[in-house]
Amino acid sequence: MTIVDEDLSLTFAALADPTRRAILSRLAGGEATVNQLAEPFAMTQQAISKHLKILERAGLISRTRAAQRRPCQIETEHLDAAAEWIGRHRRQWEERYDRLDEHLATLRRPSQQGPSQQEPTQQEPSQQEPTQQERPA
Amino acid sequence: MNDMADRGELTYRRVHDAPRELLFDCMTTPEHLTHFWGPARTTTPIDGVTVDLRPGGVFETVMVSDADGSQYTMRAVYVEVQRPGKLVWAEPDVEGGMTTTITFVELGDGRTEVVTHQTNVPAMSRRPEAQEGFLTSLDRFGVYVAMLAGQR
Repeated sequence: MTIVDEDLSLTFAALADPTRRAILSRLAGGEATVNQLAEPFAMTQQAISKHLKILERAGLISRTRAAQRRPCQIETEHLDAAAEWIGRHRRQWEERYDRLDEHLATLRRPSQQGPSQQEPTQQEPSQQEPTQQERPA
Repeated sequence: MNDMADRGELTYRRVHDAPRELLFDCMTTPEHLTHFWGPARTTTPIDGVTVDLRPGGVFETVMVSDADGSQYTMRAVYVEVQRPGKLVWAEPDVEGGMTTTITFVELGDGRTEVVTHQTNVPAMSRRPEAQEGFLTSLDRFGVYVAMLAGQR
């Protein structure tokens, strides 16, 4: 297993939880402290801290060491990797099924240039008009 | 590898204007596969397609790049073969083990919804929180991630 796969695993595991996704969503709007993050959830700060640790370990967020309030901020690099994984696999199937549709279309039109019916000629027999003009005397 | 609970997954849904028998046959017949299997800018020559349509049977395709002729071979083994409803194959060598399940759902109006479900093993750690399950479709993560990106 490559390091990249291992990273992806952590990312997907971290994203698998709705609370953690909500936290990320909140952080996408700007950094926040644990207190601020805990606010909208009916959860203890400890519970939120546990989620934050998982997000941090997955590289999805970082926390400032220096400041006492240790605000959390989102790190998009790993999200980008996850999105890339999804996009790559998705694109493969999209292209494949596009081509399948084209193939189905060719199956549906079986030899369109079959023996074409002889159409009756539309030419009207032109009536011979007398060329003779009668001159008025 | 570990159990199903902690696998990454992708679900792709697509409606095709064809009965499911035909779609199943398209996905399992070299004469059909050669027309559409490879990704864009590749061809899949018919003699590079091996289909042994039974559980345990080989499913291999050689895809050739249009640009430089380089080849990529998909090596899979059928796990489940149920014409016309379901097809499952596994690629043990890909990303730690990839399983693809294709379900053909009749829509009743001559069309068929093809649901492609792919799970790999982005080898999950054994931590309990990782066992929470990967049942959410990665597709939805994709939308979600895109949304996050858009918010920044």
